[in-house]
Amino acid sequence: MDIGKPKRINEIEPVTLPVPGEVVPEKEPSRQPDREPEPAGPEQRQS
Amino acid sequence: MSRSASTLDGLATGVATEPIIAWRAWALTGHRDGSSLLLRPVAKRARTWRPREIVEASCRTSRWHEAPDPGCTCGLHDTHGLEVLRKTRCPAVLGRVALWGRVIEHEHGYRARFAYPQRLRLLCQFCFWKSGVRRPAPEHVGWFPHDELIPLCEQHLAIAERHGVHPRWLLPADEVQQRLRDTYAVDALAV
Repeated sequence: MDIGKPKRINEIEPVTLPVPGEVVPEKEPSRQPDREPEPAGPEQRQS
Repeated sequence: MSRSASTLDGLATGVATEPIIAWRAWALTGHRDGSSLLLRPVAKRARTWRPREIVEASCRTSRWHEAPDPGCTCGLHDTHGLEVLRKTRCPAVLGRVALWGRVIEHEHGYRARFAYPQRLRLLCQFCFWKSGVRRPAPEHVGWFPHDELIPLCEQHLAIAERHGVHPRWLLPADEVQQRLRDTYAVDALAV
């Protein structure tokens, strides 16, 4: 398939991805501060 | 929204937030019962377009650049119009595709980094070669060896069979077409 000579370069960053179920990933994902694991114990309630 | 930027490899560059919509044709494979439908580039060795997954280009000739590269021919090829696609070998599906990431615009089409189909329809390849998309949609889909699916109109199915080309199984085209759209979660192409 001959599409001819190149004319222009576009850098396209869509706000919404045109794919079902896909979301645009964050450029710089924010890191959650490390947290101490909460002790499992009597706080768990049974319903 | 778009804005112009500087030049790269002598080409004007721009930045935008809206995907470019272009034309593309594919081959089609699937099982005899019409399940496991898969769009395949007409260039046989190229990567398949998997349902509900972003299609990402890679360069087969160089590991040292990302596709599409201005100095190469790599990238997902799509066209401005239908005339270029009428020269495609054995098209079974015609569609509109969204292109994003780096998209190099050419005189008659594009080479893109990312793509996903937006609208699809089946094609009788013989009608498409002869008359473009003015002819009615195909009535049948022939199932051939290697799971190849070939949509055919009534007339061209009869001609194929007269010349000894017999599909191993026939499926109703409207059912395959609906299943294809459901598989890829896209709309009908109104041409």
